[in-house]
Amino acid sequence: MNQSKVEHTLASFEEALRESRNSVLRMASVAQQNLEHAITGLLNRNAELCNEAIADDDEVNSFEKSIDGEGLKILMRFSPVATDLRHVLAAMKIANNLERISDEAGSIARRARKIGKQPEVAETRMIEPLYEMASALLRDGIRAFAESDVDLGLALHEQDRKLDAAYRKTVKELTKAMERDTGNLKVYLHLIFVARCLERVGDHAVNIGEESVFVGSATDIRHIGPEALSEMASDYGD
Amino acid sequence: MNLAKLEPIAMQKENVESLSNTASLSSALLERKNQAPGRPDYIKVSNFSFNYVPAVRVLHNITMDIPEKQVTAFIGPSGCGKTTLLRNFNRMNDLIDGVSQEGKIYVNDQDIYDRDLEVISLRKRIGMVFQKSNPFPKSIYENVVYSLRVSGQKNKEVLDEVAEKSLRSAALWDETKDRLQDSALGLSGGQMQRLCIARAIANRPEILLMDEPCSALDPIATAKIEELISELKQSFTVVIVTHNMQQATRVSDRAAYFYLGKLIEMDDTTQLFSNPSQKETEDYISGRFG
Repeated sequence: MNQSKVEHTLASFEEALRESRNSVLRMASVAQQNLEHAITGLLNRNAELCNEAIADDDEVNSFEKSIDGEGLKILMRFSPVATDLRHVLAAMKIANNLERISDEAGSIARRARKIGKQPEVAETRMIEPLYEMASALLRDGIRAFAESDVDLGLALHEQDRKLDAAYRKTVKELTKAMERDTGNLKVYLHLIFVARCLERVGDHAVNIGEESVFVGSATDIRHIGPEALSEMASDYGD
Repeated sequence: MNLAKLEPIAMQKENVESLSNTASLSSALLERKNQAPGRPDYIKVSNFSFNYVPAVRVLHNITMDIPEKQVTAFIGPSGCGKTTLLRNFNRMNDLIDGVSQEGKIYVNDQDIYDRDLEVISLRKRIGMVFQKSNPFPKSIYENVVYSLRVSGQKNKEVLDEVAEKSLRSAALWDETKDRLQDSALGLSGGQMQRLCIARAIANRPEILLMDEPCSALDPIATAKIEELISELKQSFTVVIVTHNMQQATRVSDRAAYFYLGKLIEMDDTTQLFSNPSQKETEDYISGRFG
């Protein structure tokens, strides 16, 4: 891996790559904001924020199409190779993952609106730590891409395992609450689905991390298993 | 950890190491990468240096192995020495006054600078195609059989057979079979270049050297030559010099990047163009040369 800090001789190529990278970062920022609005709307029973999260999903969808279009144009016009080629492919895949994250935010917001119309239950607060973990994963995934940080990209699987464990624990607790408080079954069911959405956000963030590792090291770490992954992480850490 | 399992861009252990250690590859490692795995080496270059006049060294200590019946592409900016090295393989540079060289080049284990080696016999084993097509002002047929006539072949049946076989191999037979006695100078640019390839392979050489064979051709003629190169490697060891990166990725199995007379990196083409181990290579192939 030899990513270059030197600019392309062809300024338009440099500009197109820069624009593609910036579009991904702008899209990530909107997706992140949608997720934050949805969760804040849930925790504060604020339907207005939920509506914003749902409406802003359109912007994320447009970003996905425009990043794919930009990528296609770069492939057609400049025939990129090596790091540039991996960057273009990764940008398109990351855009797809961000679009899915924003979809999850929309689902959370829709459920939050319904929850807001029901009596408040204390267990709603159990979603907050899951959100913190999923949000940190997303932030790190995007940082790994923005800074071509292979180490950080490799570390996301471990973070996601913790999120998965927390998700399982939360579902168990919510199931117990359903048995205890049968009058609010619908609310608990919605909260289980919200927890599921956040677990999926973590998975998409991991995908973004994997793409970042691909850009930075030309290694495809998808589906290689935890053992190979940790060995690779220690190789890089050396 | 078995990193070779990783795909689709298989990462060699050395590439992983290069991530944590950004220092350039050790010379031993670089030398290992310059050797093609799994194929017998047909051309071996060992510590080869070349000077045009005593004070101007244009190739510095090149060591590389070129595998048999594969296409090897030489890439690099103008003046980096790739054509000079190519022309050394059939000792064409001997024709220039004041040149000198050090080190060795072996073709099929034979030292081509051996005093006992007859240069003409070497050149019979190595065909060459140049940037600009250069058919003789003769008929299509006579162009193809020229080398056989020079070496004394008079048997019409043999000449006819060689002409047809060579033109078929050069994907030109169907276009010329009905006008073999027409002047070669009446062919299109792409056809002329394919005629030159037919002429180069008529003598059944072991190696085909191509110095930017498509640089003067349109995209269709270029595609025909590239298709032809892929077919020719079934029978010949091909070395091609090209400035066209996409062409190098399309036609070659291995690629070597030269800069200022030095071999910077040689590797499988897919590896070199997807994950080069040297920063200079990445800068050049991605158009960041500077």
